[in-house]
Amino acid sequence: MQHTRRPRLARRYGSVNWRGLWVLYSRKAVLRFLRYGLESIAGPVVSSCIFVTVFVLALGGGAPMSPDLTLAQFVIPGIAMFTLAQVAFDSAAVMIIHDKQEGIIEDVLMAPLTPFEITLGYCLGAATNGLITGGVLMAIFAIFIDLPFSDPMMAVGFAFGGTVLFSLVGVIVGIWAERWDHFSAAETFLVMPLGLLSGTFFSIDRVPDGYDWLLLGNPMFHAINGFRTALTGHSDASVLAGGLFIAGLAGLLALLAWRLFAIGYRIKA
Amino acid sequence: MQSSPTTKPLSPRKMGAINGRGLWTLYVKEVRRFMNVFSQTLLAPMVTTLLFLAVFALALGGAGRQAGGVDYILFLGPGLIMMSMVQNSFANTSSSILIAKVQGNIVDLLMPPLSPAELVIGVAGGGVTRGVMVGFVVALGMSLFVPLSIHNPGFIVWHAVNASLMLALLGLIGGIWAEKFDHIAAVTNFIITPFSFLSGTFYSIERLPENWSFIAHLNPFFYMIDGFRYGFIGHADGSLAIGFFLVLAVNLFLGFTAHRMIATGYRLKA
Repeated sequence: MQHTRRPRLARRYGSVNWRGLWVLYSRKAVLRFLRYGLESIAGPVVSSCIFVTVFVLALGGGAPMSPDLTLAQFVIPGIAMFTLAQVAFDSAAVMIIHDKQEGIIEDVLMAPLTPFEITLGYCLGAATNGLITGGVLMAIFAIFIDLPFSDPMMAVGFAFGGTVLFSLVGVIVGIWAERWDHFSAAETFLVMPLGLLSGTFFSIDRVPDGYDWLLLGNPMFHAINGFRTALTGHSDASVLAGGLFIAGLAGLLALLAWRLFAIGYRIKA
Repeated sequence: MQSSPTTKPLSPRKMGAINGRGLWTLYVKEVRRFMNVFSQTLLAPMVTTLLFLAVFALALGGAGRQAGGVDYILFLGPGLIMMSMVQNSFANTSSSILIAKVQGNIVDLLMPPLSPAELVIGVAGGGVTRGVMVGFVVALGMSLFVPLSIHNPGFIVWHAVNASLMLALLGLIGGIWAEKFDHIAAVTNFIITPFSFLSGTFYSIERLPENWSFIAHLNPFFYMIDGFRYGFIGHADGSLAIGFFLVLAVNLFLGFTAHRMIATGYRLKA
């Protein structure tokens, strides 16, 4: 008897398990989102369109937000940014809480993925979902509203930064949450206030004196302001400082999420 | 013979035309279900509504903008209260029925000696209670920032109860119809939210172009919000009499539909 076949070897890979990362990103995050395309994309898109309609109807004809923009031009970049950040947050948090509750988070933890790869997979997956929704939304808005798109690369950059930031928030909330109540609490008391009080609907000079810091300390404000600047050329604050603020905060949150996965906080018994 | 005449044999509980105890138990179960997580079901709507109020107040820039003959913020307040009420009554009944169906404990509602009418009243009653309580909490929170005044309490109560009832019944019907959570999310996203947002909560209907304002007058949500707001500010965009009877008629129709669905066991009994 002679063994002609070689024994099977463990799959080899370098310092990053690219195939594993790709599977986590594509199958677990993005394809799962696209499978429920109607609810997951059309739902937020419809709500945003309603928001714009209501807002323009309610406030149209009033004092303009800024001399060079119409109300719709002012509001639309903000609403689009808010929607994509919210979808990214929801997507990341729901994914992780669902996996935890069904007990299938073990499949991710057992796989030969480092904590860093897990963080990256979940975060980029959720960010992609946010960007897909945002892309659909912007395509619709661009038909009806005249947007100059003065700096497309900057628009993409800020959209990416904002979604990554909020998907990291979603990852951390997902790890922390033990029940769905915790998720809704985070959404109601953290994401909604950040999103609504962010200069989406009003420019910074409408804020009473002494409360400017509320806006300037809100990463959502900087994401929206940068995105609006890129689309319309109108800026409320320093875009460079805003971009650095978002990048720094995203770096910190990524570090935190990585540590949480590494020590297995509320994931490993 | 060893009979003990002191203890009567057990016999089925007697009840009249209405199983009062059963109905009360069902109602209390529905109320406890949301009171158990009151931070999600009562406080969260208040926070969200106050955020909306802040956003619109800031966006207006404090200019003396008017709508419906009063300051815009006074016009907006009652509309926001009504919006939170309808969203919460709908969420209460739809989630109650759908979760029971998905988890299989809907049989606990269908097996007891409760008639379809009693089921409708018990479940919808829970939804109305949540809607009215949310409305009260939101109004309380709002009154810290907005000087709400009351013009006609009758209209406030009538429209608060009927609007909550309408959405509670819609939630009941939606919950029976839906087979997955996606279905109910779709109803919320594509029917309830558009109807409540585009119904004159945020703007006076006079602002709409001619043909659109005709369409807005066909929306029952418009009459609920309009009548409710009349109770506060004493100004109505549409006809109060039509609104008064329309909500009643819609509720009777929805109640009858829900009753038929439960009686025939549509998507409830195999």
